[in-house]
Amino acid sequence: MKKSIYIVLLLVFILSACDNGFEELNVDPTKPVQVDIKNKLSITQLYTSGSRYEVWRNMLIFNATMIQHLATTTSYWVGDKYLRNDGYASSQIDRDYENAIKTIEDMLLQVENEGQPAEMEAIVRILRVFVFHRLTDLYGDIPYSEAGQAVISDILTPKYDKQEDIYADMLNELEVSAAALGSGMSGFGSADLMFQGDQTKWKKFANSLMLRLALRMSNVDPAGAEQWAVKAINGGVMTSNADIAFIQMQTGPTALNQSAFGQVFLVDDVSLSTTLVDALSGDPRLPILAARRSDESTAIPDLQGFPNGLDLTMLAASTGEANEDNYAHPNRMLVTLDAPTVFQTYAEVELLLAEAALKGWGAGDVQQHYNAGVTAAMKMYEVLYGSAAAVADADIATFLANNPYDVANGMEQIATQHWIATFFNEYETYSNWRRTGYPVLVPVNYPGNVTNGTIPRRMTYSTSEQSNNTANYNAAIESQGPDVMTTRMWWDVN
Amino acid sequence: MKLLFLICLFSAHTIYAQTTVTGTITNAGDSMPLPGVNVIEKGTTNGVLTNIDGKYTITTTTSENAILQFSFLGFTSTEVVVNDQTVINLVLQEGSESLDEVVITALGIKKDTRALGYSITQVKGDEMSNVKTTNAINSLQGKIAGVNITTNATGAAGSSRVVIRGASSLSGNNQPLYVVDGIPIGNNNNGSAGEWGGSDGGDGISSINPDEVASISVLKGGAASALYGSRASGGVIIITTKTGKNQKGLGVEFSSSTTFDKVNTSLNGFQTEYGQGRFGLKPISGADATDIGLNAWGPRLDGTSVPQWDGVSRPYSYAGNNQESFYNTGVTFINTIALSSSTDKSSFRFAVSNLDNDDITPNVALNRKTFSLNAGTVIADKLTANVNVKYVSEEVNNRPQLSDAPGNANYMTQLLSPNVPVSSMNPGTNGDGSEQVVTSNVFITNPYWAANEFKKKDNKNRIISSFSLRYDLNDWLYASARAGIDHYNIRRTNILPYGTGFFPLGQIQENNISYTQIDADLIIGADKDITDKISVNALVGSNTNHVENENIGLFGSQFIVPTLADFGNTVNQSGSRGFGERKISSIYGSFEVSYDDYAYLTFTGRNDWFSTLSFPGKETPNDDFYSSLSGSLIVSELMELPEEINFFKLRAGYSNVAGGAQDPYQLGLTYQIVGQGHQGQPLGNIANTSVPNQNLVAFNKSEVEVGLVARFFDNRMSLDLAYYRNETTNDIVPVAASVFSGYGSALANIGIVENKGFEFLISGNPIVTDNFSWNTSFNGAYNTGTVIATNDTDGDIVIGQPRSLNIAVTQIVGEAYGTLFGTAYARDDSGAIIYDTSSGVPIAQQAAERKILGSGVPPLTLGFSNSFQYKDFTMSFLIDGKFGGQIFSGTNAFARGAGLHQDTNPNGGRENGLVVSGTDTSGSSFTTTVSQEDLEIYFAPASYYGIAEASVYDNDYIKFRQLSIGYGLPSKYLDKTFLSSVNISFIATNLFYLMTTAPNIDPEAGFNVGNAQGLEWFGVPPTRNYGLSLNIKF
Repeated sequence: MKKSIYIVLLLVFILSACDNGFEELNVDPTKPVQVDIKNKLSITQLYTSGSRYEVWRNMLIFNATMIQHLATTTSYWVGDKYLRNDGYASSQIDRDYENAIKTIEDMLLQVENEGQPAEMEAIVRILRVFVFHRLTDLYGDIPYSEAGQAVISDILTPKYDKQEDIYADMLNELEVSAAALGSGMSGFGSADLMFQGDQTKWKKFANSLMLRLALRMSNVDPAGAEQWAVKAINGGVMTSNADIAFIQMQTGPTALNQSAFGQVFLVDDVSLSTTLVDALSGDPRLPILAARRSDESTAIPDLQGFPNGLDLTMLAASTGEANEDNYAHPNRMLVTLDAPTVFQTYAEVELLLAEAALKGWGAGDVQQHYNAGVTAAMKMYEVLYGSAAAVADADIATFLANNPYDVANGMEQIATQHWIATFFNEYETYSNWRRTGYPVLVPVNYPGNVTNGTIPRRMTYSTSEQSNNTANYNAAIESQGPDVMTTRMWWDVN
Repeated sequence: MKLLFLICLFSAHTIYAQTTVTGTITNAGDSMPLPGVNVIEKGTTNGVLTNIDGKYTITTTTSENAILQFSFLGFTSTEVVVNDQTVINLVLQEGSESLDEVVITALGIKKDTRALGYSITQVKGDEMSNVKTTNAINSLQGKIAGVNITTNATGAAGSSRVVIRGASSLSGNNQPLYVVDGIPIGNNNNGSAGEWGGSDGGDGISSINPDEVASISVLKGGAASALYGSRASGGVIIITTKTGKNQKGLGVEFSSSTTFDKVNTSLNGFQTEYGQGRFGLKPISGADATDIGLNAWGPRLDGTSVPQWDGVSRPYSYAGNNQESFYNTGVTFINTIALSSSTDKSSFRFAVSNLDNDDITPNVALNRKTFSLNAGTVIADKLTANVNVKYVSEEVNNRPQLSDAPGNANYMTQLLSPNVPVSSMNPGTNGDGSEQVVTSNVFITNPYWAANEFKKKDNKNRIISSFSLRYDLNDWLYASARAGIDHYNIRRTNILPYGTGFFPLGQIQENNISYTQIDADLIIGADKDITDKISVNALVGSNTNHVENENIGLFGSQFIVPTLADFGNTVNQSGSRGFGERKISSIYGSFEVSYDDYAYLTFTGRNDWFSTLSFPGKETPNDDFYSSLSGSLIVSELMELPEEINFFKLRAGYSNVAGGAQDPYQLGLTYQIVGQGHQGQPLGNIANTSVPNQNLVAFNKSEVEVGLVARFFDNRMSLDLAYYRNETTNDIVPVAASVFSGYGSALANIGIVENKGFEFLISGNPIVTDNFSWNTSFNGAYNTGTVIATNDTDGDIVIGQPRSLNIAVTQIVGEAYGTLFGTAYARDDSGAIIYDTSSGVPIAQQAAERKILGSGVPPLTLGFSNSFQYKDFTMSFLIDGKFGGQIFSGTNAFARGAGLHQDTNPNGGRENGLVVSGTDTSGSSFTTTVSQEDLEIYFAPASYYGIAEASVYDNDYIKFRQLSIGYGLPSKYLDKTFLSSVNISFIATNLFYLMTTAPNIDPEAGFNVGNAQGLEWFGVPPTRNYGLSLNIKF
């Protein structure tokens, strides 16, 4: 009798305690409920510098080969031959939105909630423009105003914004943000891996980016382009190689810290394109960018470019060679695991200024900017890669003397120098080439290519959008054109 | 309070003394002792089985009015009132009006099958132990209607997928709950391959030693399993291990089996007439051969000397089957020795088993040692205790890499050109200790490098233990308590060696994975005859279940000393810790009433509280109540039926089961610190990759089932039919989000899945003579699973995809569960494929949108088993098949691209070209001949990552699954020895295929056992297994 009472009491006790402590139990003890906004800025900058995933697939396999910086017979380097690979083509979307953009939107909310100073918000917004401009330049219309906000605004299927509208907003964002920046150290301090908290450099970067975007629309909206270019120049753009926007990578401890270039070239050994090597003829940068694959020789006669569009059978048929050993590949000092990743250089800015001047937008003397651009482009390798990559001033002078700015071919010369100076910032090379058409590239026509033997004009969206965001995806195609690599985007009217 | 009152009231009854009864049961037909007869004290769960000599001992737990029931399949059940008897010998008559069996139901409660309003299948342990496999659950494949077991291409130490009555959760766990000796055990899949590769980490059920299993009871439907609560939404498999009961003196049992595994290439139909090369040309040098790689687009093999990858010239002739050359003969030894003994009050059984397996892939090995102890004793008057301990020590070397090419030995071995011998790549190492890279694509690993240098090791130590106490308060009321623990620890090392082509500096990962599940029940039960005809059986109980996981990892990359693969020898080092904890608390009750032993009605109810649905500030409930109602009616006792019908029962049940979120911490947004910072700055961001949902509630699965059991012709034939329909609502699904939203998915309670189907089992003894008997059974199930709702916009949910990313197993509203949705041919209105003919070679065009190409889950499963006995010989075999599903085959897609596929060798040979007709892009039909050198361009769209439709096949098959031929030494030879029985058998599994529809691949070739079935991508090839088994008792 007594025993059964005990048992019943025990049961009652157990029942009353059914979900005691369950609420606390379901809070992950290994995870904080918030982190310092500084930690988020640092990681976003690393995300922006790119992981192996999308740098390999999109920037190198597609952009760099299409634009004839690189060339290879390696079968999965499909961009060399304009073959199809949906997963590679969408890789920039597939990584940027879940990493950089998601974190940026979260930072903007945190800035607001915590009442952080205006300059911190400005820095986040400039970084946001940087990430988005690269995406829209690759894909055209993309989700922008509603992107990365699944938690913040419950938007699981963001609409695609028109590139024209994105550009308008990005330029405005840059203007507002630049205005909010003061001088001295920002609240981010040295958590800012790009400029170590230097607000002046951020301001120059914002204006330089504004200049880049302004010129991007020079064909489709010349008036708007001029207006924004002038605004950028007046706001103050980069003035020396000390202003370069880049992130210094580290050899470790994880892949996140390492240069994506370093990771890719540790395994993939592809060549420099004939087009690039030929363009570097007589250029002191050639032995810095190139080395012979077989023995790493940088002697000029040893540096031969590799033609785009060849497979091994074609190579064997034309030269009897069985591999790319005799050709130049990227100099190993550019592809170390701790190499820097460059976002925008002073050299690029000077070349953009030269073009603005050429267009008569009151930006000074064309030749002066051109010379400054070429000089900065040659000298920046020392800044970025150390003294082994230094180009002597005398060599620069010789180069400029032998290759003076020629008014008759001004645009081609400026754009070609831009094309060289943005080596390994292939997103930018690809965009500027599409806008200017220079240098003139001869496309390849490999069997089975999906662009009818033309250089692709854009990358394609993630195929998952067809089922996960159907209505918005279809609307984007309706507006922009088919989701193929030959469709041109808003600013691409050259 | 009412309960307390009731218990107090009932406890007031007088308590009677116990009686111990012994006896021998013999067969009326041959006067031989009958082992395995169920002896049950009527109205209780107290029961024993007769031993090999037909003897039993049972201590009645109730009163002097105790009644013993004796039952055995195929014999008339008999009841005897004990009174004061201490010896009851009985002769059972064969073939009778009733073949009632006692089966183990939920919570381990033994019940007469007559009372069941739902379908339970119980099979004896020898279904697992006669023909043993390295994962014991695989032995049940094809044996139980409605239980779909998939053993995929994951190697001998791999996992199995078991799904009962169709998968009911769109993305959650669909495998059953395993309950071993009363306590649930973990069945986590500790690692699996995905589209980017990986290896199968093994599952929990594989720890069970088949020699120790006494019976397996499968609770298929919700009504059967409702008492187990939320974790039983995928059904329950109750495994009861052997005890020492009824063993007089010391019993010793020794069993041993040795089996061999040979790779089975009989399905491979690749062409062997054309060699390595491209566009009809041979390689011109070693370097050229390296660059041509896996392309068999060369000319017809002509025996000339042609350079290969290593610069060595070899005859341009068929080099033999590379799979047969690369894979070894696997061998498995399983030895078990068991000791058992019992007295009036106590019994024990102790067994030690050792399983040693060398898999077919070189250097892949499994060793599993199990130690198990079952002990029971009557501690005091009316108080019995049982203790159960199993310790499993498992070591697995080099779980095979599957799916994507890097590190996967299966990949290149399968795709080498016919003239290139894989043996030329042995040992895979250059002089400097780096990988001998065979093709210019370094991501395709040399198979010998993969097998010899990629090092993986798992050491798993597991203890499963339970303790139970039962106290009989009086002759009809008892209390029982049970607590159990399942704890394991896996030390895992995974080395990607220095010098690997695709990862030259190497890396190492060390993990310590621990898992603990603690489960405790407290039950008060009553079992009473209210009147002559009405009896009641009721219980109330409570349960707590607590699961904790932890994974501590060390990760190092870039070995400093190349030859030393050790964590301390790495440049970059990082560490991680994962942790998860969840609890479920429950109360439950069951009430069964029976009338005159022919009408039964059972009601159960249970309320579960889930920690995974709890969160500070949450307003929606974290618990749910659900119930079941089932009944049975023995029609043959109610009315006169034709005399051919010996027994006829109808049953029906309704049930509802609820379940919580599978994983903890899904309700709130959390952050994380990532890595070790950069330039001294810490890195942090949002941890969630899925949008958290603070309002998650329990999902529900309801089921209706009806069925019948009938026996005919003097019980020589029996029939069991079941029809069911179940529906999962509020399924917790990751709703697909646009990649642009920043998250992969969002959790929500909106999935709905319906399964309906029927199951049948026909069994019989068509021939029974003195010397010869034949038992046969045929079972089958047809299940259709349909996705009714996925999310608010009825969008698709992708649950898995292969490396080609051109097809995905997708949950699509209105379609079958696990639909294969992928890229397809563009076709004109008449269905003809549209080709771009502008370059001269017809290039198949891809349709703009993906299409439904099939379903990876076969709706129809059949099993046909037979056993024959002639004097001292036995023979049994099992044939099983699955029908109606499809599979996407990466092997076929790549073989087509590599010029190996039989499609690439048209009738008359490649020299005559391939005639292609279709529609061109302008809509005109055409017929053209593709020349030999253009064939690879023509086949390209249907290859590799191209149009998925080209490689989706119907996946029907019939396998000759099991064969056993045994001989039992006649007792006359044993009488004068210490031996009591000796059996020796030839055993074999997967000997041959009677039918398959997908070319070149094993029909069970998936690379993981998750929900995304129907994807094949370079798993371990199929094997034939055969050997000898010996069982000795003394």
